[in-house]
Amino acid sequence: MVHKAYSTNTKTTTLNTGSSLKKGYLIFLIPGVLLFLLIIVFPLLANIGLSFTKWSGVGTPVWVGFDNYMKAIGDSIFWTSFKNNLLLVIVITTIPTLIGLLLAGFLFEYIATKFGRGTTNFFRAGFYLPQIVPVVVAGIVWRWILQPNWGVLNWSLKAVGLGMLTRSWLGDASTALPSIMMMMIWFQIGYPLVIFMAALQRVDPVVYEAAALDGASWFQRFFYITIRLIRPEIFVVVVTTIIFALKTFGQVYVMTGGGPGNATIVASYFSYQNFFSRSRVGYGATIATVLTIIIILVAIGFIRMQIKQEQES
Amino acid sequence: MDNKSIIFNRMVKSLSLFAIIVLLLIMLLPFALIMINSFKTEAEYYVSGPFSLPKSFNLDTLKGVWNMMDFSIKLRNSIIISLSTALLAIAISLFTAFALGIGKVKGKFFFIVFFLLAMVLPQEVLVFPLYYLFKLLGLYNTQFSLILTIAVLYSSFGTYLLSSVFSVFTRETIEAAEIDGCNKLQLLFRIVVPVSMPSLSVLFVFFFIWSWNEFFMPLIFLISNNKQTIPIAMALARGEYGETVTSQAAAALLGIIPCIIFFVLFQRTLTKGITLGSIK
Amino acid sequence: MRELKKILLWMLVVSMVVVFSMVGCKPAAGEEAVVEEEVAEVAEEEVAPAVEGTLKIWHYEADNAMSASWDSAMEEFKAMYPNVTVEFELKTFEQMQETAKMVLSSNDVPDVMECNKGSATAGLYAAEGLLTDLTDEAEARGWDEILGSSFQTTSRYDENGTMGLGNLYGITNYGEFVMVYYNKDMFEEYGVEVPTSLEEFEAVADTFVAEGIVPLTLGGLDKWPLGHNWYEMVLYNVDRDFITNFQTLQGDIDFQGAAFTLGAEKFAEHATKGYYGTNANGIGYDDANAAFVQGQVPMNITGSWMYGGFLTQIEDFEWGIFIMPGKDFNTGSGGNLWVVPQNAKNKDLAMEFINLTLGKSAQTIMANAGGIPINADLTQITDPKVLDLNEAFNNIVQNDGLAYYPDWPVPGYMDTLGASLQELIAGTMTPAEFNDAIAIPYNDYKASIE
Repeated sequence: MVHKAYSTNTKTTTLNTGSSLKKGYLIFLIPGVLLFLLIIVFPLLANIGLSFTKWSGVGTPVWVGFDNYMKAIGDSIFWTSFKNNLLLVIVITTIPTLIGLLLAGFLFEYIATKFGRGTTNFFRAGFYLPQIVPVVVAGIVWRWILQPNWGVLNWSLKAVGLGMLTRSWLGDASTALPSIMMMMIWFQIGYPLVIFMAALQRVDPVVYEAAALDGASWFQRFFYITIRLIRPEIFVVVVTTIIFALKTFGQVYVMTGGGPGNATIVASYFSYQNFFSRSRVGYGATIATVLTIIIILVAIGFIRMQIKQEQES
Repeated sequence: MDNKSIIFNRMVKSLSLFAIIVLLLIMLLPFALIMINSFKTEAEYYVSGPFSLPKSFNLDTLKGVWNMMDFSIKLRNSIIISLSTALLAIAISLFTAFALGIGKVKGKFFFIVFFLLAMVLPQEVLVFPLYYLFKLLGLYNTQFSLILTIAVLYSSFGTYLLSSVFSVFTRETIEAAEIDGCNKLQLLFRIVVPVSMPSLSVLFVFFFIWSWNEFFMPLIFLISNNKQTIPIAMALARGEYGETVTSQAAAALLGIIPCIIFFVLFQRTLTKGITLGSIK
Repeated sequence: MRELKKILLWMLVVSMVVVFSMVGCKPAAGEEAVVEEEVAEVAEEEVAPAVEGTLKIWHYEADNAMSASWDSAMEEFKAMYPNVTVEFELKTFEQMQETAKMVLSSNDVPDVMECNKGSATAGLYAAEGLLTDLTDEAEARGWDEILGSSFQTTSRYDENGTMGLGNLYGITNYGEFVMVYYNKDMFEEYGVEVPTSLEEFEAVADTFVAEGIVPLTLGGLDKWPLGHNWYEMVLYNVDRDFITNFQTLQGDIDFQGAAFTLGAEKFAEHATKGYYGTNANGIGYDDANAAFVQGQVPMNITGSWMYGGFLTQIEDFEWGIFIMPGKDFNTGSGGNLWVVPQNAKNKDLAMEFINLTLGKSAQTIMANAGGIPINADLTQITDPKVLDLNEAFNNIVQNDGLAYYPDWPVPGYMDTLGASLQELIAGTMTPAEFNDAIAIPYNDYKASIE
């Protein structure tokens, strides 16, 4: 085929392949675009529209303009939910990423060289295991562990004589959100680990050797060279984790229902409550719209920075 | 390096190794606990605590939970939905990426960005209008509506991935094929698909597992018990089989086992795929 | 390709497993063993083999008197209509709360469904035209007489969804109320007696606290159980007008008035004194009940829907019930309603089924299983425990003491009320703040329907 292409190259340049190439392919685009419009664009626009109405879900919506948005601004639960999301973003993005980074570095440099591929893969698989379970099931497992009367955590604390540390983990406002964070950190560690380990593979070991010869310690090598070299991956991990944290829903649904009080309520769950149990569809749409705008801004920011980075390199 | 720093280095390394092993054990502990406590009787748990190994392989709790949850049916539903979603999503991604990546339709970049935004949307923002749409079409409470919705959502990621994979095909190769008498469909199925099979398998595994783990959409769209998936069944677990320590563990175990099976089977594809998606 | 083959192979394996386990013929959840005596009785009369079709039933009662009674009614129905397929689905309470409206407005509705009573649920659905008007059917079959005036309140809803007025949209076949289940053995062990006033109740609880025992179990993690405990305290200061106004969103409800103030203050006080232990917000409803069943906690304030379950589950100690003493009103009402969705396809069959659940046979089974039937001949019941329960309920009804439930008036009130109660019990809200917090959703909703 390739030979033929070469030999007929001169002929193809005279063919008007430009527009006919694109025309013929347009038809393949149609199903995707149609479905996309039907399932995503129109519902999204409809939801934005709903956010300007008052509606119980049946009957006709009533236009109220920016009322819902004004209400949201004055609603303390609205602010609490986004505050909780922000806290989740900060904790879930930094801690697992850092741990993943250090683990990846250690596994890659030390374990791989000393113990070989198999062991490294074993460790990596073990750390990644929580990721393969639905986040809801992970939540159920942790709710089971954190049960105040017979749960594993309190049982263990009592067994080693630290009984005074036992708590109603999910029932106490000061420990509820941290408990959910613990679960999400546990859940999330594997993801940056796997990505960073793959990233490290594309780093030329010559760079390290040069640095080691120059007298740099492991720490210095790691922080100044490694991190800079795998910056694109760190970037991807950070952004995808931010979005994951912003979309928290199942964990809250299954572990605390937003409680105690509103200590663990998040934007997704708050929107869901308004849609389905409080029959305030318009207000629920408002919350969902605000969340969407935030997420889209984050995503657009990411895409722009990635373009900039590519242009730089 | 002098002796002192060599020894220090070794100590740090051994300590770190120890720390990592401990960390790994902690990571896996929840799974282990769920497993051993599903086989105990309730009394055993209260007497010997969560860390003791079960005296005997007591399957009663598991059986009871399996029946109460109609687990066979939920398992069947999860399989059907995940399989269909993955296949449909790949089909849509294939066609769209074909047009964008190979046909190089104008505005490719815009399309891809547009599609990608679909992946990041929180699902609540789509659900109420979609509910209405499906109700109008008489499709509410059907698995098809769920499969369609999720497949479209995933196909945005698939399109993004495949179009960059398809950039492997140079203009010359494509034109050569066309000169050879290949029409577009033949080009797609005889050349593009076989060459990109590795990426397609990665996508398949990804889509399968993602849709298996879906929670919000199935929660809203699947009302009938006999249509629900495993994550939904787990979350709604209440009543008799939710009452004891061991039955709660057993229920969780049932939810975890299929995932572990997937993982063991598809570990390599998964790790390959995650990295594929992160770098364009 | 290797991966694809692996996937296909695995699919094959799993589908085989699935098929085999299904062929193993495990009964679907909820279908209990056939109650043979009753079926034999019915089979002699009224069999209508000519009637064909399907009957879809959804409810969310499991392992209690209601589920036992309704299972038997289903068997009766099957015997009467051998060519009708009965499709039963067991739901959960939370599931129905969240999805009922979506289900009812779709075309994929059950023919008869258990529905929570009150303006925010049944009332809302009735007002939106989602439920079939049962008034005529009820008259024709004499249901209205069975219900009597006390239970018709929760069955009637007008075009605004206000409870108590308008046409009949739901039919209940049992009663329910909230009481204190107590562990007789533990009471004896610690030398306390059944209290006859609120002060005595508190003294009993104090005694247990002093002995290092948590007196009351409570499933705060699930939020809604908190409502019952708190509402019982509110009822010390109410009258019938207050209750009617609160439920129908009429009049002026003063959330800082005597009733709510005492309710919040007492509830908070009890929490501070340790009556609920330190873990109330961290334990689910099922776990809380389990603690009582296992004899760890002497008292459990919850509803009569648990009575039947406790009858079968509690084996290690003697137990009994008492009403929260010293007040005229008690949390309670007619039970959950059977509703027939407007979009239902088999309304006639649905009516037949409802009729059977109100029939003597099913109602007697409900009584024997530890429930509160509304149409059973209680002189035939000999089980003292069952008589206790029904006597207590009838006392309340005869004194016009049914005060309904606090979450009924506003959609989603269970969530918001529950969340605020969690804060009250944790001490992060003062009683006054609590009363303000729960006033907001109530007044908002009231304003929106005017």
